[in-house]
Amino acid sequence: MFSPSHVTNQLSLVTTSSLCIPFEIPDEHYITTMQEDLEPTVRIRELKKDRVNFVLGNVDLAFANSLRRVMMADIPTVAIDMVEIETNTTVLPDEFIAHRLGMVPLISTNCDEAIRYTRDCICLAGCAFCSMMLVLNVACHDDNTMDVTSDHLEVIPYQQADDESLLPEDPGEELSKRTEFFGHPVGKHEQGVPPVLIAKIRKGQELRIKCTAKKGIAKEHAKFSPCSAVSFEYDPYNKLRHTTYWYETDIKAEWPLSENAKEEEPPRDDEPFDFNAKPNKFYFEVETDGSLSPQEVVMKVHKRLALV
Amino acid sequence: MPDGSGRTVRKPTFNTLEREKAFRQPPKDGSTYSILNEFVAPHIESFNALFDDSGLPAGDGDGRGLLSLALKDIGERVVFDGTGRGDSEHGVHGWGNRMRIWIDQVTIARPMVPEKDKTAKERRVFPTEARERLTSYRGRMNIKLCWTDNSGQTQEMMKDCGLVPIMVRSVRCNLRAMSSADLVRHHEEPEEFGGYFIINGNERLIRYLILPRRNHVIALLRPSFANRGPSYTQYAVQIRCVRSDQTSVTNTLHYLQNGSAMLRFTWRKQEYVIPIMLILKALVGASDKEIFEGIMMQDYDNTFLSDRVELLLRSFKMYTMHTGEQCLEYLGDKFRVVLNLPEDWSNAAVGAWLIQKMVMVHIDSPREKFRMLLFMLRKLYATVSGECCADNPDSPQHQEVLLPGSLYAMIIKERMEEILNAIRGTIMTEVRNGVAVDFNDKRWFNKILSKVNFDIGAKLSNFLATGNLVSPTGLDLQQASGFTIIAEKLNWQRYISHFRCIHRGAFFAELKTTTVRKLLPEAWGFLCPVHTPDGSPCGLLNHLSRTCRIVTSPLAVAHIPSLLVAHGMTQAFAPSIDGRKNICVQLDGRVIGWAHPEIAAQLARNLRIWKTEGKMDVPLDLEIGFVPESHGGQYPGLYLFSTKARMMRPVKYLANGKNDQIGSFEQVYMDIACTPEEIEQGVSTHVEHNPTNFLSILANLTPFSDFNQSPRNIYQCQMGKQTMGTPSTALQHRTDNKLYRLQTGQSPVVRPALHNTYAMDAFPNGTNAIVAVISYTGYDMEDAMILNKSTHERGFAYGTVYKSQIVDLKDMPGAPKNADLHFGLGKDIPLSAERAHPCLEYLDFDGLPYVGTRLVSGDYIAAYIDGVSQRTRFVKYKGDEMAYVDQVRLLGSDAGDSELQKVHITLRITRAPVIGDKFASRHGQKGVCSQKWPAVDMPFSESGMQPDVIINPHAFPSRMTIGMLVESMAGKAGAMHGLAQDATPFKFSEQDTAVNYFGEQLLAAGYNYHGNEPMYSGITGQEFAADIYIGVVYYQRLRHMVLDKFQVRTTGPVDPVTRQPGRKRAGGIRFGEMERDALIAHGTSFLLQDRLMNCSDYSTAWVCRTCGSLISLGYEDISLGEMVVGNSESFKPAGPGGEYCRVCRAAAEQRDELERQALATGQDVQQPQADVRVAIPSQNVLNRAGSKGGDLDVVAIPYVFRYLCAELASMGIAVSLEIR
Repeated sequence: MFSPSHVTNQLSLVTTSSLCIPFEIPDEHYITTMQEDLEPTVRIRELKKDRVNFVLGNVDLAFANSLRRVMMADIPTVAIDMVEIETNTTVLPDEFIAHRLGMVPLISTNCDEAIRYTRDCICLAGCAFCSMMLVLNVACHDDNTMDVTSDHLEVIPYQQADDESLLPEDPGEELSKRTEFFGHPVGKHEQGVPPVLIAKIRKGQELRIKCTAKKGIAKEHAKFSPCSAVSFEYDPYNKLRHTTYWYETDIKAEWPLSENAKEEEPPRDDEPFDFNAKPNKFYFEVETDGSLSPQEVVMKVHKRLALV
Repeated sequence: MPDGSGRTVRKPTFNTLEREKAFRQPPKDGSTYSILNEFVAPHIESFNALFDDSGLPAGDGDGRGLLSLALKDIGERVVFDGTGRGDSEHGVHGWGNRMRIWIDQVTIARPMVPEKDKTAKERRVFPTEARERLTSYRGRMNIKLCWTDNSGQTQEMMKDCGLVPIMVRSVRCNLRAMSSADLVRHHEEPEEFGGYFIINGNERLIRYLILPRRNHVIALLRPSFANRGPSYTQYAVQIRCVRSDQTSVTNTLHYLQNGSAMLRFTWRKQEYVIPIMLILKALVGASDKEIFEGIMMQDYDNTFLSDRVELLLRSFKMYTMHTGEQCLEYLGDKFRVVLNLPEDWSNAAVGAWLIQKMVMVHIDSPREKFRMLLFMLRKLYATVSGECCADNPDSPQHQEVLLPGSLYAMIIKERMEEILNAIRGTIMTEVRNGVAVDFNDKRWFNKILSKVNFDIGAKLSNFLATGNLVSPTGLDLQQASGFTIIAEKLNWQRYISHFRCIHRGAFFAELKTTTVRKLLPEAWGFLCPVHTPDGSPCGLLNHLSRTCRIVTSPLAVAHIPSLLVAHGMTQAFAPSIDGRKNICVQLDGRVIGWAHPEIAAQLARNLRIWKTEGKMDVPLDLEIGFVPESHGGQYPGLYLFSTKARMMRPVKYLANGKNDQIGSFEQVYMDIACTPEEIEQGVSTHVEHNPTNFLSILANLTPFSDFNQSPRNIYQCQMGKQTMGTPSTALQHRTDNKLYRLQTGQSPVVRPALHNTYAMDAFPNGTNAIVAVISYTGYDMEDAMILNKSTHERGFAYGTVYKSQIVDLKDMPGAPKNADLHFGLGKDIPLSAERAHPCLEYLDFDGLPYVGTRLVSGDYIAAYIDGVSQRTRFVKYKGDEMAYVDQVRLLGSDAGDSELQKVHITLRITRAPVIGDKFASRHGQKGVCSQKWPAVDMPFSESGMQPDVIINPHAFPSRMTIGMLVESMAGKAGAMHGLAQDATPFKFSEQDTAVNYFGEQLLAAGYNYHGNEPMYSGITGQEFAADIYIGVVYYQRLRHMVLDKFQVRTTGPVDPVTRQPGRKRAGGIRFGEMERDALIAHGTSFLLQDRLMNCSDYSTAWVCRTCGSLISLGYEDISLGEMVVGNSESFKPAGPGGEYCRVCRAAAEQRDELERQALATGQDVQQPQADVRVAIPSQNVLNRAGSKGGDLDVVAIPYVFRYLCAELASMGIAVSLEIR
């Protein structure tokens, strides 16, 4: 069975070398159309804090695209979903600030286990197991314009609005699965990461806001997407002739080759067209907004696709 | 960075830091964008010209303002007290004591706090106060009224003429010459440039209007002139003469079939026609020979001319007037009745006054008037003979501009004149009625003045608020309304174009012919060929080209005649000039001499060199219109113009490489190359400074407009003005009825150089969107566009609408006038927690809403207490949409001494883009959002880029907006390299193409040269069979949003008359004729009936089966039963409900009556016969009135049909329905 911890260990060793990891697809029907003797492979070309570049081999197009789609839209993260505004004397109206707060990426490591969807939770409208509470309390007493940023957002223990005794005793273990800074704005506890600007206030203006962050996926709202972009390419030489390159005089001068072309053999001029060929090498680059690390995104996708 | 070879190096910067700095710390000296102050200069300077301290150059005059000049022209009114006994001392007619009344001085002050207000420390009033308090920005006007008493001693008195609206940033405005920093301190935009008036909180301006060029004779050929009377022909010459105070009189000289001519002018909207000979003689007492020689000018061989002149002279013989004095007396005698001049003036004096005030009013001296009239006659005869052609009054060559300040001065002058007339009239009425009149008694005079309305300010406010001109003279204008418009701050583009728009005149809007709307080559460089609306005002409402100026100050040209004489011009008074060899030299409609055509051409050249080089004191704004001899073309001459209100524009003079200002008259005879490459040696005289100068500001802002099909650029000029952008940076101080705001406006990556010049980045108008041109999903058919859902969720094109609601306790519906109302919550509102009134959620104790409160329709927005009943009443929010209270503004009274009675509430309505909202690129490519497509399903490029917007490739072939394709490429390259791409039109050529320039940049960024990219389907992940054109295009969100357009409904309010739903009554989208045609064509008759009948004005009605009438229903109350006495055959016939046909029953009763009479008398009584009877074919006759009115049926008809029947009945037409 696929083991996330095992692969994570592997990944952490890899930097930019071209190391092939045997990668096991749990269910055989994913590779029915593929050459049966080849195992799917993942080769990580580059791994940085916010991006991973890898080559996926020996899978078919549908699987590769599913991977892309799931990374973009099905990985849960936490994001501010409800904003209760106590005081807002800034120049920005309430709804603008609420929108901006929603877009702030929050650290969502191990989101699957560390928090529940509110809709799956036994509470009525939110509890410590399905929500995070953040507050923003800033006032400017200075003559200079002050920047209100995501660093001003403080995570506070969840305060139950209703009488807590009414809630059934919850045996959830989510709280223990949370990492230290779970739900904190990305970059708050790191050096050299510029925070996200929320508003600018001047002397006498104040912002007092209570936010509830919830778990969600990007299908609900773009703010839950952990990825800022997923690049995806196959067949850089267009050997499969899926597309036609439009050109005016010289196709080679007008169409620059992609970086990934180095990975493949250029077609010979007299090479016959193989109409049975299928794409089986996919070049990915996943960039995240910091709420999840790139490896976590990729690993989670694998897990998710395996569990389907 | 790629660099196109052979192109000038640009400064590719967005100026972000500079702009931010300028916005945070506006310059303390001068303004951020000085060009903005320049382009409204005609508005402001023409207003400044009203005053003696205008700061404008004096020119030849003494620098006095238009108001002072007007006072001089008004002169004095004379009235007599009627006490004279008719002796030698008091005059033969017994007029009595003579009183002269005149206005000596007029002053208009800056807007100030009224004296009543004792507390205000700052006594000046600033425009923002007027705007926010919804009042007018006005200054006090005073006149010094003078009169003489019986002893001839001059008495004087200051009279208050009310508060006159003041133009913002004019010399009377308190913001005059303020720097951007000061403007911001006074709650204005840092870029505020003024030029408008504030009336009841609205910004209104006087629109430029096209008028015939002043002091220039134009030949007209109008078939309608022949209908003016017997022997009139289609030929005439016309001159619009303008006095120094900018009031004008138009003189038209009509050619009659007998060869003579009639002079036509208008006095107090009444037209008068006088034989020209009468005027010529009256002016200088000219002999017949003098007139003959003056017209012939030695051209004795010209028998056409000599015949006409002979006829002209002969025709005057019947008047038997020989001397000038006789003519003046004749004129005075005839015109004394209408002119209202002093009774003691002689007829000759009245006649002289008439000529002075009505004929050639731009000239003072009668001799010069005479010369000018002779010139007009010569031009008239030349036109008739075909020696010269008729001039086109629709051509900008013969046009100038009515300046706002000049119109304002004209109105003030007329009002002051009316004040004097009213005083005179009042006194004369008293004298006539025998009331004791004493010119020495100041109290009596005050009483007279109290009967006269001095409030000029109110009149002017009314004029500005409505645009309607209330005038007894008509001011020599062709229209009486539509002079002013609101300067809407919808976005910056719309706002600034108000100040550059110029209208042809309301009169021409009704004209069926479209010749006036034509774009003429003469308009090049003065009126923008692109920036005109399509639809009814097309071609009538134009916009000035970017560099077009309007001259606003008088020039010093007094020395020009002597200068020209020194260089070969023959003087005007020379005894014998050969008209065949000389052409006329005129300066501002005044004959200053004659010259041979070659000499005239040389003079014109000299003048141009002098004026461009600043030599001989020839002003640069002098227009040198040299019309060469052409025999059949325009009438030759050297026409110099130095007056105000002319359109001029800068070009480069090739002879010396200096800047030249050229006018619309002279441009026609010039060869101006568009670019230096086009200069043709020996032909070109000038070259444009910039090939884009002929475009208006807005047309200049369309990127790569030279690549587009021209109508698309016209559309963009319209759509740029409908964009939801940034209306103002001082939003907190705006009280507009409706403001649209785009939350996240961006500076376009691709922009023309002028984008920065006109402060467009201070008021962004759209967003840079990633646009893919691909037919995907089918939701992009027919100009629809697909929006990326994630893009939308991240705030793409998020907008806000600000609406105003005013709660004025002085003007509450249902409350009596002067009701005792106060804002607040009364004692009848329970406050305690458990029984708290629901209004407490929205309102504070002061009765006003909390800022930030969310309102839906029906929520409380204000509360007030009725002081009499002590009950609390509420004002409710009536809008359909959810709104937030953004601001609550308490509006005080003028003096600031009364309790709060009026509040202004700004409501904020959020408008995230929804399906059905309209978007457009800057190339006339508009489309409606049809779907918000999930990001994962959107196509993507190899780098993972997904489009924000998908448009269909079919949007391009027929519309040919190549500019948009180039913008897409340029935007993509600009985004990759961080360049602000210059999109100024006419920068590329066939050798140096745009595609190559941006293609190289794209290659350098690793993209395909043409901007295409292989893309993948988001759904399957497969590469598309074709590569996709994807790039960055600046998108505008238009203000037309589905939420504002009511959509469908089944029931609702209807029009009381027709009972049909209407747009005014929250109606749905009209199901119109063409939609009806579609349903008929489809054969969907049930749907047709449902739309047009059941959901509209379905009604049932009784129709008489007998006579077919729908409207003759009567009711019998048969529930009580009816008794019939005697042997009459039956009950009156009626339906089960007692309904009957009144027509048929009356006919039946009449027939019964006749039969009864016949029975009684035994005679056969004839039916009474009508005078006229109409025979109707038998197939059109329904049943005879046989069934006595009881036979009715219910039918379903549209209600409006019954209404039509009733209306027709009122005209004597009966509608009969046949019931089967």
